[in-house]
Amino acid sequence: MNQSFYGMLLFIFLAAPPVANFMESLMVIHMHMQMPMLVISGMLMARFLQKRFPHLFEKWNSNGVPGITLFVLIMVYWMLPRSMDETLTSPIIEGFKFISLPFLAGISLRDSWKKLNPFGKNSIIISFTILFIGLGWLYIWSPVQLCNNYLVIEQVTLGWAFLLTAIGMIIYLGYNFFIDPSAYE
Amino acid sequence: MINNKYTKISFYLVILFGLGLFYFGTDGFTAFTAETARVQQLKDDKPKFPDVTLEDSMGRKYSISEFEDKYVFITFLYTSCTTVCPELEYNMKQVYDKLPVGVKGEEIVFLSISFDPERDTPAVLNKYKDYFKSDGETWRMARIPDQAELDSLLKAFGVIVIPDDNGNFAHNSAFYLVDKKGSLIDVLDYKKIDDAAQKVVTILENRGEE
Repeated sequence: MNQSFYGMLLFIFLAAPPVANFMESLMVIHMHMQMPMLVISGMLMARFLQKRFPHLFEKWNSNGVPGITLFVLIMVYWMLPRSMDETLTSPIIEGFKFISLPFLAGISLRDSWKKLNPFGKNSIIISFTILFIGLGWLYIWSPVQLCNNYLVIEQVTLGWAFLLTAIGMIIYLGYNFFIDPSAYE
Repeated sequence: MINNKYTKISFYLVILFGLGLFYFGTDGFTAFTAETARVQQLKDDKPKFPDVTLEDSMGRKYSISEFEDKYVFITFLYTSCTTVCPELEYNMKQVYDKLPVGVKGEEIVFLSISFDPERDTPAVLNKYKDYFKSDGETWRMARIPDQAELDSLLKAFGVIVIPDDNGNFAHNSAFYLVDKKGSLIDVLDYKKIDDAAQKVVTILENRGEE
């Protein structure tokens, strides 16, 4: 399986300075493309580590709860307006972004998701949906500029992207709830 | 569930890590935006007003040493701005009006600095100052003609200015208070006029007693 290799390629691509600079120049791409893609690169690379150290994950993350908690914490941290601002002004925070999103959030999500029961999975998706609606509301109707490095119009764009993502997740939840896939097989 | 012990340990470690991350990431749960963090940082660092040449609405050129032994109450603006700058300057005027007559020009000088030196020539500033009934003496409006010097000041005081495509700038706004030795001592919320005026009066009174 060479998905880990592709994950690494994706990671290197995202970290290449011209690509990183371009993606960070637009707030919405920064948060809704660069950050998720970093997580995805980590998820792809996770396969390599799972194969290499199967016992490590089994031992320390047997029910997936620590892993998913780590994932949630990292994600919430990167949704603070301040974190995103500081990646643009501080190289240390920028470095932390490129380490934490793939290697802490991505790997732990991959390893934990399958171990969660349906109730756990749904709670995570519902929590993120509520969080995204809240953030969308905050970014669209906030009277103040939350990020010093971006214009207010970009802040509003980002807010709508959050709301759209939330709507997408609501549709998924509804689909999951009302449709029984076995009926179509 | 098997191996529950280790999973429990790692769970607590993750929680601990998360607490630490958020604690350090928000300066102890106080600063969730970069702007609050910036203001706190400035108050701690008390940066010096750099040695730059100001050119005021009367075309006089001087450095910050012109105001030696006086407090300086500073805002940053550009005159083509139609949104926050007029509000900022109007609020500044209100602070100015609230101070006792005796101290103005003697103990404290008001200074509006333009970060758009190309358009804000002394003539433009002279006209702009009249909108706010600034006398050009105890409340001066000035530009910093040299871009490198201007940038050094903006950087030192953490003023972020982003030009947009329509010749406007997005920028953060506040009242900056510089002490008699040229160090920034406070950054005040420009929307809280009464608080700002009160603070200035208190500082001036305390200095008088020393």
